[in-house]
Amino acid sequence: MSLHSLMFGWEYPPLHLGGLGVACQGLVQGLLRNGVKVTLVLPHGNKSAEREVTVLSTDDFSASTMTVPSMLQPYDTHASYDIRVSNICREECDIYGGDIAGAIENYTAASVQVSKNITPNVVHCHDWMTYGAGARASQYHRVPLVAHIHATELDRTNFKPNEWIYGFEKRGFQAADRIIAVSKYTKNMLTEHYGIPADKISVVHNGASEHLTSFGKKNTISLHGRKHAPMVLFLGRLVLQKGPKQFLDMARIIHQKNPDVQFCVAGDGDMLSEMITYAIQQGLSECVLFTGKVESREVSELYRRASCFVMPSLSEPFGLVALEAAAHGTPVVISKQSGVREVLDHAFTVDFWDTEKMADCVMTILREKPLAMQLRSESSRAITHLTWQHQAEVVRSIYQQLITT
Amino acid sequence: MPSICLYFQVHQPYRLRDLRIGDVGTMDLQYFDCEKNRSVFRKVAEKCYLPANAVLLELLNAHPEFRIAFSISGVFIDQCKEYGEDVLESFRKLAQTGQVEFLAETYYHSLSSLTSLSEFLEQVSLHVRTIEEYFGQTPKIFRNTELIFRNELAHVARLMGFEGILAEGADRILGDRSPNMLFTPPKFRLSAAQERTIRKFRPFAKATKNIRILLKNYRLSDDVAFRFSDRSWIGFPLTAPRFTDWLVGSGGFTSNLFMDYETFGEHQWADTGIFDFLRALPKIWEERGIATRTPSETINAWNKSKQPTECFDAHEFVSWADHERDLSAWQGNTIQVAALQALHALEKPVKATEDPKLIDAWRRLQTSDHFYYMCTKYWSDGDVHKYFSPYESPYEAYRRFSHALCDLRQMLKSRPPHSRRPTPDLTTPES
Repeated sequence: MSLHSLMFGWEYPPLHLGGLGVACQGLVQGLLRNGVKVTLVLPHGNKSAEREVTVLSTDDFSASTMTVPSMLQPYDTHASYDIRVSNICREECDIYGGDIAGAIENYTAASVQVSKNITPNVVHCHDWMTYGAGARASQYHRVPLVAHIHATELDRTNFKPNEWIYGFEKRGFQAADRIIAVSKYTKNMLTEHYGIPADKISVVHNGASEHLTSFGKKNTISLHGRKHAPMVLFLGRLVLQKGPKQFLDMARIIHQKNPDVQFCVAGDGDMLSEMITYAIQQGLSECVLFTGKVESREVSELYRRASCFVMPSLSEPFGLVALEAAAHGTPVVISKQSGVREVLDHAFTVDFWDTEKMADCVMTILREKPLAMQLRSESSRAITHLTWQHQAEVVRSIYQQLITT
Repeated sequence: MPSICLYFQVHQPYRLRDLRIGDVGTMDLQYFDCEKNRSVFRKVAEKCYLPANAVLLELLNAHPEFRIAFSISGVFIDQCKEYGEDVLESFRKLAQTGQVEFLAETYYHSLSSLTSLSEFLEQVSLHVRTIEEYFGQTPKIFRNTELIFRNELAHVARLMGFEGILAEGADRILGDRSPNMLFTPPKFRLSAAQERTIRKFRPFAKATKNIRILLKNYRLSDDVAFRFSDRSWIGFPLTAPRFTDWLVGSGGFTSNLFMDYETFGEHQWADTGIFDFLRALPKIWEERGIATRTPSETINAWNKSKQPTECFDAHEFVSWADHERDLSAWQGNTIQVAALQALHALEKPVKATEDPKLIDAWRRLQTSDHFYYMCTKYWSDGDVHKYFSPYESPYEAYRRFSHALCDLRQMLKSRPPHSRRPTPDLTTPES
């Protein structure tokens, strides 16, 4: 039986800010290769693209993409949405929704409208903004609803949630017939903090995108043999959840012991100026570089250049950047409060708050050549087994199970 | 009908503290986690050593023909002195029955047989003297750390004066032969330099002419040690009569059951019935006319039987660890190899200090467990390594170990050589 999945997303490369878009793309491509037809509905702020149905070609396969006019962006909060909307003219506000709740309501209604004429077997939605659309579409088409959890409000806010979003999420989780969590870590979050029964949740880890798995071998040049100073890398949105402050605290400890080490903070976000100030206060102005937003080619170069990658997230459902770093053959130190540690055996794991130990792990990697060598070769090798093709096969079997029961 | 040779390994390592780079240079040899080591020792003492020794004492008294053997590492005896005189005393009580044989091993349960002949010899001699002191008998049988074995080692043990050596009955060497016979290593001479070194450091006055190899019957041993409580195993539940049937069925001259002593009460908890199982065995064996023998008695009986002794030809290392039964549990990846090499590289400067405390700390770092914890094999055996490791990952094990080594190195650098007296060159006996 051929399967058709109607999917509601937030973002899709090349227009993406974070891991969600990358994961979504990996999953769609993997599903297509497993013979599942996918129709993807995305919010789109560009007027010219309104209601335009495009066909994205992914190798030999294709997914239909529908876009819905909306100013919503992934990782939106009430505040960030308000700022963006205040920059557009009043009549457009009516289309897009004057506040985030209105915007989501508009998005939901429009999403269901555009997808009326297709006949899916399953509705699959990604993260909280799409849950309304997903629930309504699944009712309309009378097919099961799969909610895919890439992050929860609790992850994003260090357990100080916006109650409205938390409630919206929770209703979405309850409405879903099946939940896919990106890690056991997230599954625990859902059972412990949202009261979702464990047997309703399947864990499907994100895959390592194919363009990543080819990196491993190229980067075998000895990091210790080269002339420039060792560099320790942070890459992520500069928001509370990602732990940029913890990174700088760690940097200060390392800097005191080893002033030659350079630090790079790559990424943009609310906390950028605060972090720059903090770095200066900590006496790190000479050794920390803030890059702002980086393009994917620059990202690759940074991974390659780094002696060590640190992901100090306070709560990270998955943490694709750590996989990317590993794929580039960069030794990684990751937060214990993350999902990626479940698939990345060859790495140091530390509690995000234990910046002393984090610093010690980094300094050990910088000092011990055999250790760095082993982490480089083993971690990039290990993730070659984690493909989207395989992970999508698991998703396909979840679909099948749902449809037949 | 085979006789039965029971040998139990008793060992606990000194686990490392959460050492930090900032402390390098100021650790003052305080590398080990006293609290952790004490708590593990006491936990295992209560669950295994004390109750198991009580059962065995009762059995030895009730069955005067019952025989067992122990190999107790030197670092275990050290820990007894620190954390459990009661445990040491209970082993001495067993020794006093005269029905227990104690084997020789490297004092530090080390991999020194892989790195340095002189260091290896010193550790074995130290262990022999320690066993004499605590248990009043001189070991005649040698068992190397984790049953690591190859032909050369058999000859080293022979030249040291041992009458027997234990090894894993690995299929790849036995072929279709049974492990229930005694074996001999192929005949060859070690180098003159090696022989000189052995003469210099050996624990006994003279070499033995023939050394016998006792092979672990790993199927029957592991039925108890690994599978006893495995509900998915076809042999579950394992009863004393059924196990005895299997022993008899295994045929040959001797069925050698070698296992960790912690099997009783620690790997297999008391509620699995492991103690009742142990308690039931001697009586059934007695009723069915099955003898138990110590390794030395087994060798004597074999020599008297005048059977032809076949050759066990191990060119490569064999051990009792993991499915591979080779060195990969301790020397299977880059960090394990680097850590052992780096530690061994300090032998000369460490010994030149003639500082017993420093030498002792360096030797405690040689305990094989440190390298075992760094193992990254991630198939089914990975779980076994995880179960035994006190650290959260192999990399954490390496991190702590490398800090200890750095500190030791720094200490050696900052310290002038002990004296102007020429110190014996122990690392290169050939010169």
